[in-house]
Amino acid sequence: MNLNPLLPFLMAGDPSLEALPQLLSDARALGLEAIELGLPHSDPIADGPVLQAAAHRAIARGATPLNVLESLAGISDSPDIILFTYLNPLLQIGTERLKVLLRLTPVKALLVVDLPFGEEAGFEAELRAAGYPMVPLLAPTTTLDRARQILSYRPDPGPAHGFAQRFAYVVARLGVTGIGQGMDLTPIAGRVAELRTLSERPLAVGFGLSDAKSLQSIRALAATPVIGSALVQELADGRNLTEILNWRLVDDD
Amino acid sequence: MTAGFSLPSRFGAQSLGGCYAPETLMQTLLDLETAFRAALADPAFQVELKSELRHFVGRPTPLTSAPRLAAKLGLKALFLKREDLTHTGAHKINNALAQAILARRMGKTEIIAETGAGQHGVATAAACARLGLACTVYMGVTDMARQAPNVARMRLFGTKVVPVEAGQGTLKEAVNEALRAWAGRCDRAHYILGSALGPHPFPTLVRTFQTVIGEEARLQVLEQSGELPELVLACAGGGSNGLGLLVPFLGDALRRVAVEAGGHGKALGEHAARLDGGRMGVLHGCKTLLLQDHHGHTAETASISAGLDYPALGPELAALVLDGKVEVRRASDEEALVGARLLCESEGILPALESSHALALLPALAAEGAATVLLGLSGRGDKDLSTYQSRLGI
Repeated sequence: MNLNPLLPFLMAGDPSLEALPQLLSDARALGLEAIELGLPHSDPIADGPVLQAAAHRAIARGATPLNVLESLAGISDSPDIILFTYLNPLLQIGTERLKVLLRLTPVKALLVVDLPFGEEAGFEAELRAAGYPMVPLLAPTTTLDRARQILSYRPDPGPAHGFAQRFAYVVARLGVTGIGQGMDLTPIAGRVAELRTLSERPLAVGFGLSDAKSLQSIRALAATPVIGSALVQELADGRNLTEILNWRLVDDD
Repeated sequence: MTAGFSLPSRFGAQSLGGCYAPETLMQTLLDLETAFRAALADPAFQVELKSELRHFVGRPTPLTSAPRLAAKLGLKALFLKREDLTHTGAHKINNALAQAILARRMGKTEIIAETGAGQHGVATAAACARLGLACTVYMGVTDMARQAPNVARMRLFGTKVVPVEAGQGTLKEAVNEALRAWAGRCDRAHYILGSALGPHPFPTLVRTFQTVIGEEARLQVLEQSGELPELVLACAGGGSNGLGLLVPFLGDALRRVAVEAGGHGKALGEHAARLDGGRMGVLHGCKTLLLQDHHGHTAETASISAGLDYPALGPELAALVLDGKVEVRRASDEEALVGARLLCESEGILPALESSHALALLPALAAEGAATVLLGLSGRGDKDLSTYQSRLGI
């Protein structure tokens, strides 16, 4: 299995919308196949303080769902983008217009945090048919039975498709996004093994991962670690993406 | 239809409501619905709730005739449903207490709640003290400043009040933070949502526990006057008070009116009147009428009343409005202050700023020809004394 070493998360419009093409290009130059891009929202109920602040900075600097998607139009020097968003901005754009906007971008899948499977079925089916599947999210509270339902409702399109359209997102802990500290990752190994009995699709593990050791222990499970809040914070502190991610892509011996 | 639920999660012709929750909370919401259905079917739960409502809350609350105010307004009769006389001083205790009992049945040891005006927070804090549950209430910093007595009351009841600094520091931000906290502790904590809002099953749960208001009022008004009023009137923030009073009158041939906060202007950001400029959208787990900008970001709101200062109307009430079963009107900050003063001077009752919005509409309704009115006096105004003092110059 060709493992993606890292799935980074960026907040569109933070530090600025103008900086986005270069960030995507840098990510691709690092050999990353996919990246999560957050659409800043006014009420990010699943996000911790770092991503809340990033969303509010982006909105204050003029980022909107529309101009984010427009700024992605025509960009090809980028990893596949998984658009991480809340439902309401997409509903306000409307399905038809959304499909038109997405067609010109490197977006390959949608991760809609507040859209559990079965809700807005028509909207989801139409977007999937247009090539924008919803990423299945599996929380620590998701029972195996429910996980089975989610994975079949949001199916693996198969190895002919890229990671962005195939993977399932395993939420590492209860709570919201954030920079974890001293998180006990032991339960994750069991969880990943358990979920592997349901599906052969690639797995990403996120929420609370930042230090090299935790990223490495996720990779040791042949899963892809997600780095979000830590990356967004370090970018906001003025460091550049290559410098932040480079050492996090390789395991210490 | 969200997978896995048994009760209807949608309301009205436009299918409002639903369950737009992060996956982390989904199993908890499914379990909550199961526990809610089991409790409703369990006579022991009903007996305990009824007993607590009677001996702790003080139900049934009186229906008070207000003849002097009626005469001033040119009404034939005016009846006030006195939720201000419940323990903790507002209708919020009906739901908070019932959910706290439900949470204890579910084996939860902690309670999380949000509050705007502080009435739901105080009610939850009191219910938790009574039942021995640990309680944390999230409250916007703006609301903490304008409803300071309620912050003190919560703390006296042993509740931890967490200030929420984000955004405007009002109810919307408090709900955001409560939802985030719940996602982190949903294995042991129950979230007592205070209004008929949020992801399924909350709107149904809250409405079910609040319709005691209208059920009592309907019997009382028939007993006192021998007939139903021409019009039933309640203020509406999220809609727990509105639904609680109006739903039991849905089968009757009368006008049902909900009053929203008109704030200090008609532009987006100057009011919390969702029927004026609200569009269908999703916030805090449900699809409903929402004040938002054209990007789908939630709009700012304004109201003198913290309890009505919220950008979304609860999905079931919004559905009743859109389907023509409930009328919605608005009252401005100034009109609410006039309404409050009118009740104080005519009947010796100090209403909460929320309830004052319903009172504010009485002159207009009288002018439209309404003769007999039943008004939901959702809460008492002690918490609002400092606002009344500064705004009315007393």
